[in-house]
Order: sequence, then C-alpha cells, then structure tokens
Amino acid sequence: MAFMRKQAVVEAIDLNTITPEDAERRITAGVKKYATNEANYAAADANTPYLGHIVGMGIESSNLADITMSIERQFLTRMTAKIGAGEGSADFKLAPGELGKLRILDGQDALAATPGLSVKMLMDLGHMPKNDAYLEKVMSFAYVMATGDGWKTADALKKMAAKAEKLAGAERVEALANLNSLVARAKDYDALLADAAKLAASKSAAYRHDKDGYDALNSELGLTVDKIKGASAGGDAALLAKLRGEEAEIRTRLKMSAAKLRVSQEVAEAAGRRRAIESAKVAEVRAALQAAVSSAAKLS
Amino acid sequence: MPLEAEDVEALRLQRLLSRVLVVPVSLVVGALARLHFKYRLDENIDALRAEIWAKLDGHDGPVIWAANHLTLIDSFLVYWAVFPASRLLEERRIPWSTPEYTNYYRLGGPVQSALIRGLLYLCRCIPFLRGGEDAASDSWRQKAFDKCAWILRAGGAVFVYPEAGRSRSGWLEPRRPKDFLGKLALEVPGAKFLCVYLRADRQIATTSYPPKGDRLRVVADLIDGALPGETNPRDVSQRLFDRLAAMQQEWWRGSRMARNCAGNDVVDLKGALLRENFSEDLSEADPSWLGRHLTERELAYLARQGPAGLFRTFWRFFCAKEACHKALGRAVIVVPNGAFREIEVDLFRRKALHLPTGLQLDIRFTDDDEDKLHCVAVLRGGYIGDETAEGDVLWTVAGVPPAASPGAFVRELALDFIASANDEIGSAAKLALIEDGGLPGVLWRGAAQDWSLSLSHSGRFAAASFMIS
Repeated sequence: MAFMRKQAVVEAIDLNTITPEDAERRITAGVKKYATNEANYAAADANTPYLGHIVGMGIESSNLADITMSIERQFLTRMTAKIGAGEGSADFKLAPGELGKLRILDGQDALAATPGLSVKMLMDLGHMPKNDAYLEKVMSFAYVMATGDGWKTADALKKMAAKAEKLAGAERVEALANLNSLVARAKDYDALLADAAKLAASKSAAYRHDKDGYDALNSELGLTVDKIKGASAGGDAALLAKLRGEEAEIRTRLKMSAAKLRVSQEVAEAAGRRRAIESAKVAEVRAALQAAVSSAAKLS
Repeated sequence: MPLEAEDVEALRLQRLLSRVLVVPVSLVVGALARLHFKYRLDENIDALRAEIWAKLDGHDGPVIWAANHLTLIDSFLVYWAVFPASRLLEERRIPWSTPEYTNYYRLGGPVQSALIRGLLYLCRCIPFLRGGEDAASDSWRQKAFDKCAWILRAGGAVFVYPEAGRSRSGWLEPRRPKDFLGKLALEVPGAKFLCVYLRADRQIATTSYPPKGDRLRVVADLIDGALPGETNPRDVSQRLFDRLAAMQQEWWRGSRMARNCAGNDVVDLKGALLRENFSEDLSEADPSWLGRHLTERELAYLARQGPAGLFRTFWRFFCAKEACHKALGRAVIVVPNGAFREIEVDLFRRKALHLPTGLQLDIRFTDDDEDKLHCVAVLRGGYIGDETAEGDVLWTVAGVPPAASPGAFVRELALDFIASANDEIGSAAKLALIEDGGLPGVLWRGAAQDWSLSLSHSGRFAAASFMIS
C-alpha cells in the first residue's frame, strides 16, 4: 500500500542511546508538518503545547494520532515483549525484550500534550531511562492546561478591549458591560493561578465527576453479574448470552473509565504541586492577565 | 381487556399484604436514602409536598405517577420525596410500580432472587417486560396494562415511567413521546397525571443510583389525564411529555451545570494532511492509524462501505467524534486528547455513545459535500432537528479568507452569526467571547449565556454552532 506519508521515512533510533533533549528535538521535528502556527513552532521548547494557537504549535485535532505515530516511527525500544493483561482479556502490557519498534498503547499518550511530556511518557513507560534533571524542566500536564486557559482568557480580554475602544453610544455601553465581566473573570483566574491549593481544588471537581462515573459503572457491573447469576439459575441460554455480552461491554467501558480517572486524578494531584518550572510559567501567564486587566480597566 | 378473576384475586391479596407492611417498608426506604446513600432533599421539599398534596386532596380519583428516569432507584426516591410519612395510612394513594422484569426479578442466586421478589411484591410492583416482540411478550405487556387499568379504576395510583426506560442522554426529549401512558389515561378517563422531575444535583448520565451524598431537587405538578373529546393516545402523551419537559427546564434553571450541551466540527476534505494515511487513490488506509481512531464496530462499518467510501466515511466518523467531544466537555466530561475510541459513532442511526459513561448523543451532518463535512452533536438541552423539523441548534459554515487567522476568524464569525440570529442583539459589538474551562462561551449584557457555543476550523473552512433552547 502506498501511503502519502511515505515521503516522511525516518531512521528509527534506540531510545536508550540518546539523551532526553535529543528525543525531544526529534519529536518536535517530527510534528513540523502538522504545525499551523509557524512562529510558535519555530520557538517551541519542551513545554510548547502541540494544540492551540496562542502559545501552541497550532496542530489540529485531526493530526493528534499522527503525533503519536510519528513518535513511534522515530524510536526503537527494548520494551517489546507482550504480556497478557489477564485471563480472558485480549489486552496486553509491554515488558523488556528484544530491541524493536516502539509501540504506544491505547490511552498511554493521554497526557503527552507537549514534546517534554511526550519524553516523560517514554520515561514513565520504561522505554528510556528516567532523567530527573530533564523532568525538572518539563511542566506538568495540569499546568499546561491551567496556563493554556489563562492565555486564552488574557487574549479574549485584550481583543474585547480593542473592540470596545472603537465603539460609541449604546454599543459601547453594552461592550463595556461585557468587558467589566471579562475583567472580573480574568482577575478571578489570576487569583486561582496564584494559589496552588485553590487550583487543585478546582481541578478536583473533574476528578469527582469521573470518580462518580467510575463508581456508578462498577455498580452496573455488579448488577449485571447478579443478573447473570439469575439467568444461569433459570437456564435461559439466550438471555445468558445477551447478559454476557453486556458484561463484556461494561468491562470495556470500565477500563476506559479507569484510564480517564487516572488522567483526572493526575491532573488534580499535579495542580497542587508547583515546581520552579510551573511557577515560572504561571508567573508569565499571570503577568499577561494582569496587563490585559490593567489596559481594559482604562476603558471602563 | 378485563382481567381474569384469578388475576384480580392476586392483586387484591398483594394490596392487602402490602398495606400491612407499608409503614415499615416506607421507613426503611427513607432510612436507606438518608443513611446509606446520604441523600438530602431540597430545602423547599415541605412546601412542594404541601402544594402537591393540596392538589391531590382536591382530586378524589385515580392518579398516574409519571416521572423522568435516570437511575435504577428512581421509584424509591420519587416516593420518598413526594409521599410524606403523615400520609402513609392513605393506602389508596400509595402507587403501584412497574419495574422491568429482566432488571429486577432475576437478580443473583435463588435465595437473593427470592428475597428481592418478595420485597418487590410487598412494594406493590407489577413486573413489566419492555423487550421482546413475540406474542408471549405482547401478552405480558397487555396483562400488565390491564392490571394498571384495574388498579386505577379502583381509585388507586400507579407509577409508570413515560420514557419506558432510563434516558441514555440524561435528558427527557419531549419530541419522542411514548404512547403507553396516553393509552392508560384514555382507558381510565378520570385519572390525573402526577408529574415529577427528580434529579440529583450532580446527576449527569444514566447510572444505578445518583451520586452518594447528593442533594435531590424535585419539581412536581398534578395535571389532567385525558381531556374531554381526546381519543388519540399520542395527544395525551404529548401533553404529558410537554409538561415534564417544562418541569425539566425549571429544574435546570436552579442547576449549576450547563443545561445546553452541544458541539460542532468541520472537516476540510481537501486538506492535504487528511490524506497522508490513505493511499493515493484514497481506497486504502493505514490500519494502525484507523485503529487509533475507530472502535471495532466502527471499523466493521467502515469495511462495509468499500474502497470508494473509505475516505469520506472515516472523516464522517472523525467529524462526529470531535463534535461529541465538545458536547461532552460542556457537561464536564473530558474526553482526553486523542482518546477517539472512547466515543463510538453509529452513522446509520445518527447516534454516538460515550463508552466510559454510557451517555448517548444525537448527531447530525448539516454539510456533507465534496469539499467539507460539518457535524453537530447534542447531548442535552434541546432537539437536534432533522429533515422534517427544525431543531434547537443553529450553525454556520464559512470559508476562511486567505489572509485571515482561522482561530480569530471563527470567533468573529460566531459573534456575527449569534447577533444576526437574534433581533434583540442585532450587533456583534454587544457580545464578547469568553473561555471557560477550555470551552468558548458568550457574554451578553455582562452575563455568560448558556448557549453552548462551539467553534471549529479546518483548512479552508470555519464553523460555529450554538443552542437556542
């Protein structure tokens, strides 16, 4: 099969023979053709988000899988031996084996939102040695999201202020009402970013939602298992087959729910931990928010 | 159809036995709700009960309880919320329930199953069978209907879920009424509907039970059953669904969750990067790349479309998934980036399922031509619309001017579109965009609007959608 992608052939390299910085450079180079914000891409570092236009590379969601597949094509790993995840399950884990093609399994890339986080993912999964000095420079997923929202808020405020400035009469009055509301939101968000504990509390709401969902699904599974017991006792083969199908579906959903829960748990926990890199990035976005607020305040 | 004498005798015996145990059973229901599940009722529950019971006292006839349905324990919760302990001796008012046989009557081994059946018997349950198209299932349903009618004719009360099952979207959709309750009301003309909308504060999806520790808020009303001259069950059911839908709106006005949850996505089918995992003639695709986006069912559907339909069908799946991702995000259900397989799309039925939560969304392709696809998805808040009926989602798709930034252009497009769709707004200058938890929103008169704004751009196209319900 001749895929259009064939032009992009790269020589894969053993992840254990390169530095994290080399891996990051290769990862960043591998996504160049998907980046629609050339300026941000040119200045990209470990913490530049793949997605988004304000500070991100501008990669579109239709190319998200391409990022992961680009990483897979570029590296070799010793984590190639498949180990079954459990009896009756088609799932598997990867364990040390012969040097071979890198495989990133379903859901493993959920937090890899920047080149640095992609390298962290490779370290966490055992494909390359852990390097604490490198990881110190990598902003957590929680803060990529939190600062991203801050940049968006500052941008919206700046644009609204620029628009309101040109208006007159009743339109200006309405625009200023919106502007004041935006200023209040920007101030609130600035205060949220200033306090790691508050930020963690706000992120834990999503975790609680996911936990509720996971618990509810678990109880659905318990109920279906009870129905299977009942159908077994009644000897209804057709019903039993239907219920076993339901059980398999719920188990698949439960696995996805657990993966989702791990992401939101990681985000909620990481939001409360602020290292130097996160503090620096938070300071940058807070400065942008405060600048936007102060220029908007001149209008109102 | 009249019940046979032995069925009538059986119902009389069940009524007698349940009467004896009504007080302890009701107290246990209340205690479990409060102590085990730690639920609280809304602060105004006493006022609501007083209002409803004043109406019930004014109606000396049969009552059909009709409530929205989201969890397996809704019947108990509605009963606990509406029926005060002081009224427990008014046994005629205590409703008979119609639980689904396959959900409740064959749970666990023989002992557990027998205990549950015994409890359901004492709780005045008439097992109902919703599935099955064969004569035996039809006959079962007819008998259950006849039992309900007999109870109502005797001046009693029955509790039936009008939606005939738990809502898979978490939303009661008034445009899809079921006829059962309309038929029942026509069968017993003196009956009134006791409409109840009960939902826990954090209840998003269909679950076994509401989140533990949650507050349950209730809206209730007593309305007419069949009106004089009414003969069509659909008309009666439609009136009931409309009332329940209005109560749903009232419930959501007091909620902190976003009511409107919709999303959109546009795909530029001529975009070069969309083709790179396909063969040059677009008749084949990299299987591992497809596997990262599509579930087994979706892959099977894709295979059935043949080589000629491969490219377009794949991107229809993708477009629908992206639209659903945004609609779910509005309900604080975050689909992690790249987790495309968490959403399973059925292009034929125009439905999508979020697998981890089981939430079902409606999808609709508004633009589907050689150049582009545009899909909208609705989880809740209104009707998506179809070829015959306008929905509650408005959308626009436009070309991005050559020199413009797509991100900035789609934002301007959205505000202009919203302003043009509402005479009261008139000018986009009166609106502002906000970002809330990574999702776009709209400010009007300084207040954030629950319009579920969704933005998308791809290659040469930009699109925006919002809800007007």
